[in-house]
Amino acid sequence: MIAFLLVLALQMKVPDAEQFVGKPQGTPLTGEQLNLKTQQVGALLRCPVCQGLSVSDSPSEMAVNMKGQVRELLSRGYTQEQILSYFERSYGQFVLLKPKFNGVAAAVWILPLLAVAIGVVIVVSKAKKLEAAPAGNRQPTTDNPSDDPYISRVRELVEKP
Amino acid sequence: MTASLGRFLILASVLVSAAGAFIGFAAGQRQSPEGLKWARRFAYAFAALMLLSTLVMEYALITHDFSVQYVAQVGSRDVPLWVTIVSLWSSLEGSILFWGFILGIYIAGATWLNRGKHEEYMPYAIGTWLGCGAFFAFLIAGPANPFLTVPNPPLNGPGPNPLLQNHVLMIIHPPMLYLGYVGLTIPFGFALAALLRKRLGHSFLRPLRASLLLPWIFLTIAIMLGGWWAYEVLGWGGYWAWDPVENASLLPWLTATAALHSAVVMERRGILKGWTVTLVLASFLLTILGTFMTRSGVFNSVHSFTQSSIGPTILVFLAATLIASVVLLALRIDSLEAEGNIESGVSREGMFLVNNLIFVVLTFTVLVGTCFPLIVEAVKGKQMSVGRPYFDAMAVPMGAALLFLIGVGPALPWGRATKRELVRALVPPIGAGVVVAVIGALLGVRSPWTLVTLFFGGYAVHVTLAQMWLPLVQRMKRGGSFGESLVDAQLRRGRRRFGSYIVHAGATIVLVAIAVSSTQRTSQEMTLSRGQTAQTAGYAITFTGIEERAEPHRQSTIAHFNVAKNGKPVTTLDPRMNQYAAMREPIGTPAVHSTIFSDLYISIMNIAPDQQSAGIVVINTPMVSWIWIAVLLMGLGGLVALIPSRRRVYAVEPQSENAPSLGTAQP
Amino acid sequence: MNRTVLIIGLLIVAVVVAILFMGLGKDPAHIESPLIGRPAPGFALKAVGSNETIDLTRYRGKPVVLNFWATWCVPCWDEHPVLTANAQMAGDRVQYLGVVFQDEESKIRDFLEQRGWAYPTLVDQAGKTAIAYGVGGVPETYFLDKNGVIVAKFAGPMSAEDIQKNLQKAMQ
Repeated sequence: MIAFLLVLALQMKVPDAEQFVGKPQGTPLTGEQLNLKTQQVGALLRCPVCQGLSVSDSPSEMAVNMKGQVRELLSRGYTQEQILSYFERSYGQFVLLKPKFNGVAAAVWILPLLAVAIGVVIVVSKAKKLEAAPAGNRQPTTDNPSDDPYISRVRELVEKP
Repeated sequence: MTASLGRFLILASVLVSAAGAFIGFAAGQRQSPEGLKWARRFAYAFAALMLLSTLVMEYALITHDFSVQYVAQVGSRDVPLWVTIVSLWSSLEGSILFWGFILGIYIAGATWLNRGKHEEYMPYAIGTWLGCGAFFAFLIAGPANPFLTVPNPPLNGPGPNPLLQNHVLMIIHPPMLYLGYVGLTIPFGFALAALLRKRLGHSFLRPLRASLLLPWIFLTIAIMLGGWWAYEVLGWGGYWAWDPVENASLLPWLTATAALHSAVVMERRGILKGWTVTLVLASFLLTILGTFMTRSGVFNSVHSFTQSSIGPTILVFLAATLIASVVLLALRIDSLEAEGNIESGVSREGMFLVNNLIFVVLTFTVLVGTCFPLIVEAVKGKQMSVGRPYFDAMAVPMGAALLFLIGVGPALPWGRATKRELVRALVPPIGAGVVVAVIGALLGVRSPWTLVTLFFGGYAVHVTLAQMWLPLVQRMKRGGSFGESLVDAQLRRGRRRFGSYIVHAGATIVLVAIAVSSTQRTSQEMTLSRGQTAQTAGYAITFTGIEERAEPHRQSTIAHFNVAKNGKPVTTLDPRMNQYAAMREPIGTPAVHSTIFSDLYISIMNIAPDQQSAGIVVINTPMVSWIWIAVLLMGLGGLVALIPSRRRVYAVEPQSENAPSLGTAQP
Repeated sequence: MNRTVLIIGLLIVAVVVAILFMGLGKDPAHIESPLIGRPAPGFALKAVGSNETIDLTRYRGKPVVLNFWATWCVPCWDEHPVLTANAQMAGDRVQYLGVVFQDEESKIRDFLEQRGWAYPTLVDQAGKTAIAYGVGGVPETYFLDKNGVIVAKFAGPMSAEDIQKNLQKAMQ
């Protein structure tokens, strides 16, 4: 009976990452390092049945399965890139929580940098324009007299006995 | 009967607000005092109608009147009374009614507080507010009507979403959020009024600022409560996932904070009026965008209300208000700019500009990140995600930059400063920064960004405390005891300044606590059998057993753990899995033990069928409680700054060339 | 009239409104499959109710309807009779296969015995096959042509028309 089941087990195969991303390109991980790296890679994968949670954070069974898959691949020596690539193959870019740096996704990284650059230009030119402008009515605020030298001086003169 | 009464009240509020908006704008154009009086009456009437409608709905909920559509949707006889009361805002239709209710209160309050004042602006402001009120009343009357009559009322209802029943924070978070969101309509009205009047007078700055600050306080606390709720309820151990709806609440907060800062420069130097008005308009528009994101079903989020036809309607309103704001700005912004200048970019004024730059870039980044998947899908048909790793990568440097500014900004003097003054201002706090960073490193911090944040944090604390106590010191120098000086300089005269620095102190602690809690967090998964103890994060955790508890609306499986440290028992933690009658999957509630240093957090992953072992994840997060407390501090600071001082008008002459120059150096 | 403000402002309005408008038509929970046009990942899994291991390659030469489901999935209950009827109608021309994950074999067997057992149902191991196929939820159905290439994916319970429409693609 056991032999039969063994034979049966040996015949079963599930789709393996090797079909899709080739042989492992890194070193197999174990122990604490394995746990840590599983957590890290899991944080980059999106749980497909959850609302935006990562595979590391989600308690759903699908996420648990995926995390198990990640752990197994890491222990066999697959690199993070290979693992992410494997999931991307079956789920699409949707499953990557961190947008890729190439292709259409690159725009999401570039746009903020562009905004900073344009913003700096605008602020510096506006500051220069303001520096050159003539002084206008400087109305000291009445709520923070300590900041304003006029008011402090006036108060000193008025309040001294 | 109740349903028809509700429908009638809502219909009346649509008519009243529409008419009132019309009257307001007409009165503003003609500058008619009589028109203003009528506009005010319509404003109060709208508020009263909204109040009555809400009371009718609560009555229907509490009496379990299932002939009212909304009650049939979220009501239940099996839930506790507090759940019934708060189910008013648990689902889409009720939440819009709640929005209208809060809007009514704000409009009535703003109208009443400004009676007899600012009469050139008020009609336009009231007109704008009632216009927004009319839109929301229309939503309630039409696409999102909670008062529809159910032909065959059921005997019982399903109750509100179970996730919303899991925690007491459900009571406070949504009202706080609405008080913040909805409140931004008021400064929007003031800003539009200023544009329509082609001027923003100095005396009008106060109501504009105050009406911006009050909702800001609520929104700040609401965002924190949202994070705290997610932390205590959702079970993944974090407090911010950059979920689209979380981002929706953050966006207006960012622009409102920027507006509060640019308003200071506007007041001091008479510049940036158009820019401040733009930020105020943007804050309101972002709240409408936010409500679209939450209710349209376009974004995949934990928070999303279920899809309905309300999305397109809100989008139309958003488009209309966007276009109106842009056109009005284009036409009038140049007439707002008063004469004014700054003396030097390297000054506190300059730092305010940098502050605005960072806030606006951060707003843009969060907006782009949230909407990017939509853009890509529309343009390329592909689906992609922009998740936490992206936002964290962007927010961390910007948060550090803001912390840098909190330190350097107030340290710099107003106006122009000599090199010596700059050195005297900027160098001493470095010591404090180094001390804090070293303490962090000694306590185990290794992440470079966190060390940088700690350095900036220490620097900022030094500057903030020094500036905060400056008026106190000056007052004491002029002869006064500590107590006298404290009350006089800080609380009686210098509230705005004192309050602002309290906010800065809070913000510094928040940024540092976020950095530390994110990078120093440890998480461990384990399976414990009954009686087994595991060591993690300095604690000894023993699994003692499972308890089943049946409540009217749910069945709870509770796992009991004894927690000990150094051999001494500390507490028991009881995370649970709740099976609600209305949902297929059980929902877990984590158990949290908070101390001032860190939180110990246990969440159940699975329970063995024989209940003799449990799979859990144990998370240790340092300094996370500091975040909640420091945000409350920020709210408190805002309150201090908000309390108006009795008008003491100093006679001020415009600065003339012959006046003795006192210089602008800080004492 | 400040032209800069007007142009930049209207540009922003146009972009924002356009994006949100386009988003309105779509369901954010629906994920497109990148595997369409690619060879189906191979597997050999245990069949429910026997000790046989069934390999996917066994069915090369005819179209395959590969349906991922589970006994706890309510929409799957509605879909099951539709699949059963179509499988019986198709006979030998099309091979129907079910793959169940996150479930217990005894429950599956009871379900099938009660509701109809027209084609082999296989049990996945630790969800690995589901992951390889990019399954995000149940029910999800993949249509393979006779060369083992995925030609279509359907998420959600299918009606008879849905099955026929997708089978057309598989038959080409």
